Amino acid sequence: MDKNTLQQLQAIVGEARVLCDADSLQNYGLDRTTVWTAAPCAIVLPGSIEEVQAIVRLAASEDLAIVPSGGRTGLSGGAVARSGELVLALDRMNKVIDFNAVDRSLTCQAGIITQQLQEYAAQQGLFYPVDFAATGSSQIGGNIATNAGGINVIRYGMTRDWVLGLKVVTGNGDILELNRGLLKNNTGYDFRHLFIGSEGTLGIICEATLRLAPPPQERAVLVLGVSDFPAIMDVLKTYSGALTLNAFEFFSDLALEKVLAHQPLSPPFTARTPYYALLEIEQSHPDSLDTAMSLFEHCVEQGWVLDGVVSQNQTQAKNLWRLREDISETLSFSKPYKNDIAVTISKMPDFILAVDQLTQQHYPDFEVVWFGHIGDGNLHLNILKPDALSVEDFNQQCNAVSVAVAELVQSFGGSISAEHGIGLLKKPYLSYTRSDTEIALMQEMKRLFDPQGILNPGKLI
Amino acid sequence: MKILVAVKRVADYNVKVRAKSDNTGPDLANVKMAINPFCEIAVEEAVRLKEKGIATEIIVVSIGAQAAQEQVRTALALGADRGILITTDTDLESLAVAKCLKAVCDNESPDIVLLGKQAIDGDNNHTGQMLGALTGWAQATFASELTIDGDSATVIREVDAGLQTIQIKLPAIVTADLRLNEPRYASLPNIMKAKKKTIDSTTPADLGVDVAPRTTLLKAEPPAERKAGIKVEDVAQLVDKLKNEAKVIS
Ligand SMILES: Cc1cc2nc3c(=O)[nH]c(=O)nc-3n(C[C@H](O)[C@H](O)[C@H](O)COP(=O)(O)OP(=O)(O)OC[C@H]3O[C@@H](n4cnc5c(N)ncnc54)[C@H](O)[C@@H]3O)c2cc1C
Ligand SMILES: Cc1cc2nc3c(=O)[nH]c(=O)nc-3n(C[C@H](O)[C@H](O)[C@H](O)COP(=O)(O)OP(=O)(O)OC[C@H]3O[C@@H](n4cnc5c(N)ncnc54)[C@H](O)[C@@H]3O)c2cc1C
Repeated sequence: MDKNTLQQLQAIVGEARVLCDADSLQNYGLDRTTVWTAAPCAIVLPGSIEEVQAIVRLAASEDLAIVPSGGRTGLSGGAVARSGELVLALDRMNKVIDFNAVDRSLTCQAGIITQQLQEYAAQQGLFYPVDFAATGSSQIGGNIATNAGGINVIRYGMTRDWVLGLKVVTGNGDILELNRGLLKNNTGYDFRHLFIGSEGTLGIICEATLRLAPPPQERAVLVLGVSDFPAIMDVLKTYSGALTLNAFEFFSDLALEKVLAHQPLSPPFTARTPYYALLEIEQSHPDSLDTAMSLFEHCVEQGWVLDGVVSQNQTQAKNLWRLREDISETLSFSKPYKNDIAVTISKMPDFILAVDQLTQQHYPDFEVVWFGHIGDGNLHLNILKPDALSVEDFNQQCNAVSVAVAELVQSFGGSISAEHGIGLLKKPYLSYTRSDTEIALMQEMKRLFDPQGILNPGKLI
Repeated sequence: MKILVAVKRVADYNVKVRAKSDNTGPDLANVKMAINPFCEIAVEEAVRLKEKGIATEIIVVSIGAQAAQEQVRTALALGADRGILITTDTDLESLAVAKCLKAVCDNESPDIVLLGKQAIDGDNNHTGQMLGALTGWAQATFASELTIDGDSATVIREVDAGLQTIQIKLPAIVTADLRLNEPRYASLPNIMKAKKKTIDSTTPADLGVDVAPRTTLLKAEPPAERKAGIKVEDVAQLVDKLKNEAKVIS
């Protein structure tokens, strides 16, 4: 970065809030992907929306690319700065601005850590339901920019369903106040929804107003050992028809094996089964657990389920959840090639058989780990890097097969990215889910909000 | 060999319990209840002894409100053979519990009584020791390892200075510490089977035990709230605060 630009940046945020040291460049230059090398020109840490606006205007006048940066837990390279961009990190904008008990909503700055927001809501006797294994580090701005999903989608939907309003700075440097927390506001195009899932390409999300839910009632976690994949969908149908499910997750025996090898956890039961379903049920009725039990009996009679456990206390509930939630972190040691794909739930059984055939055919020597938010039709397919293979060679081999996976997803009318976004990683495959016309319209739309193309260039579209 | 295991119904370990607004005790309305974690470890140890072929029968007993039946059922699902529920609405003190257990011991003549070292609500750490005194049997508290050998047992105890290994004659009282084992999950098939196991209900009066409390709770207050931390700007400010505000360095 030239000295003049640096001085102007320092004039906006203060000298200490522009970082150029090697550690910071490395730390702020990468998300959780393992494909690229960090190479930002500097990191800037604004403290207010006005400072963000001034930074964007400066960047526009200098033709300097900006990478908006949240908690950098992203899995698609959306927050990666690999070619001299300025990283605009929202870490300092982390305050709750307003809480309204009547509206059951809160307004916060976008850099607040998701878990802190959840805890704040809990202190008010309410509940922010978007949750997943990275919420201890991710920011609400990043969640909105990726429309994060997670483990409670089957009950509560995605981040999009909880956003009542946004304050953003566009690539033009305009400040937009979108929807202002209203529940009803039919006054034309709702730009709020364009910014949700925009992955930093349209503007910097600076503030958000979020809807909060009543707190959930007592929860119990069941882990069921399932005989084969189609049976998981039968179990899903059986349980979701009779009980309020907060979550319906699944993982393969290999996923469990990896977690048990790396974490101090016990298996749910001694028998090993090909797949496991994890259900969280809300005990909204005194007899919810009895219902869960008789459904279990039915599933056993049908031959779908081989064994099962239910948490007797919250410690057990947490530990059972960890069997699922620790998978991603555990696998990260093997630098996995991640697919985050979705089809409608009804197509899932056929789809999974087809994917299974495809991976067996293409990756006979690789370990393939299956898990995911199966109740949402969302499958995480992770291919583990064999120790002997270099990261480059491994990614190259995987890329080749990704085309085949993408074609399969397309033929099932599915999505090549269910919740992790497109970023850099999935960009080559976007056309398998979105038509050429749609992509052209997206590019037009980006030009409207970011005419100079300074916001996260090269990502998404 | 017959094993008697005592389980207590307490607020779930993960629940933040609040004091009632009138300070008359903890507010347990709508609070998730569970087996006291140390009792759960005692149950697990009994089940393991049975799986090893050492124990032939496990009797689980709980003393308290009718709702404690839930915890007895859980213990049955974990592998106990039958249950005894001693119901009372009185707030029980350790001695009252120990006396009830003594009465059960008289009726059942177990070879080992397994208990948690303490319950996480009262944190008293009394009951096992009192039962030892009432029965006159050997006692091994804070057990982190239990080995049965004929009519004696070797127990490794967690004591302040480290570990102590003792040998005791049966019948004996053993109280479980945290590291004794890691309790299993209750399997759904076993929960269903447990529904068919019998639970005998009785009362302290039927057992000839007076459970009237000997102490009165005057007041229950939450601990003082901790002040929120602050962020210091630099090392100089930190040193200044440590010196002049906290006065921990000079
Ligand atoms: C262990 C693990 C488990 C995960 N599980 C899930 C899961 O279950 N479901 C799920 O959906 N995701 C999951 N993720 C992915 C990731 O946590 C989410 O995508 C999360 O929403 C990213 O938030 P972040 O703050 O870390 O964003 P970052 O990674 O910092 O950024 C993500 C994208 O958003 C943009 N961005 C960030 N902040 C802003 C802002 N203020 N304004 C504009 N653009 C911005 C960035 O430029 C980038 O394109 C998981 C990740 C990990 C490591
Ligand atoms: C007694 C009464 C009660 C009402 N209560 C409510 C209420 O509680 N809530 C509420 O939201 N509304 C209410 N309305 C308004 C109205 O019924 C709604 O707006 C309704 O959705 C309009 O549907 P329509 O098919 O009649 O649309 P139209 O009146 O035919 O058209 C409405 C708009 O949609 C466009 N449009 C229609 N069809 C299409 C199409 N296929 N593709 C693209 N554009 C199209 C039209 O060009 C026009 O701009 C009420 C109306 C009446 C008369």
